[in-house]
Amino acid sequence: MMWACIFVALAGFFVLLLLSADEKIPKEAAGEGWLIPEPGGCRDVLPIGDIASRIFSREDREFVLRLGSPGLRSMYQKERREVALLWVARISRAVGKIMQEHKLASRYSRNLDAGIEAKLVLQHARFRLVCGLLMVLIRIFGPHAMGDLAAHVGELYQRISKVVGPSEIALDQVRNTH
Amino acid sequence: MDLGNLVSTNHAYDDLLRRTLSGMQSELARLIYLASTRDYNSGVYHHEGLEARYGAAPARIALQAAHKDIFYRLAALSLAGLVEELDLYVRVSREAPGGLIHAWQELEPYRVAVPMGVDATAVQLFLSNVRVALEVLRFHQARARDRRPASSLQPLLGR
Repeated sequence: MMWACIFVALAGFFVLLLLSADEKIPKEAAGEGWLIPEPGGCRDVLPIGDIASRIFSREDREFVLRLGSPGLRSMYQKERREVALLWVARISRAVGKIMQEHKLASRYSRNLDAGIEAKLVLQHARFRLVCGLLMVLIRIFGPHAMGDLAAHVGELYQRISKVVGPSEIALDQVRNTH
Repeated sequence: MDLGNLVSTNHAYDDLLRRTLSGMQSELARLIYLASTRDYNSGVYHHEGLEARYGAAPARIALQAAHKDIFYRLAALSLAGLVEELDLYVRVSREAPGGLIHAWQELEPYRVAVPMGVDATAVQLFLSNVRVALEVLRFHQARARDRRPASSLQPLLGR
């Protein structure tokens, strides 16, 4: 019974993640030409890596933290969270569009490789799950969620090791290795 | 675009960088200047000098390309870099810094400086960064006011 509950809860969580990845984004921000260069040869797109590294930049956050103003810090977090969520939603939508076009094209294809298609579908599902997870994490913990979570885990480890004592943790590690 | 137009566009672009844009001290000033050459109603760029020398189409394309280039450079800038840019722009503008920052926060004129047809995420990042940078500048100003020694006010109070 308990396993069934866990299974249902997990399934629900994954559905929630998938829905998060599919979140609606503001219309004005949904430019159709995203990541598609225009004719003319000039620089029409900012490389996707540049945008991501700027949005999730630790340098920017440290700059704001150094100023020591709680108001500025919360403003920065709110602003960056919104941009980060928009970025994930757009990435997810762009890949969704590519998959849709591939599905349409594959209807007319005569030499479909079922193995490759299955792999592609799995990869797409995995991608959407990651996007959904990222959205939930950004919403809850902010754009620096991963780093913050890792730091939080480190802090928790230190607290636990202080309470339990380093010798017991070391003993446990020795027991586990043998 | 034929080869002749392409060559003219490249020349117009170089000319724009060398003669006009290089004289401006900050990237933000260049962005605002280029946005001001664009007609608000049609979105078409105009520059009499460039048009007379290279033709309307090459001048328009050169202005548009330079506008996008500078926008992407600013969008990819770190927050600290953007604060520096904004600070430089404020100092060069000869306006009272407090008044300019207040006007920019209220009216958000930098929104109009964004080129058309650019990556929407880059636009949101740029607008968001400008909002934060303005707040950082305001914070710096307030802190500088607070740090001003009280003794410097005494002669004024004594008057």
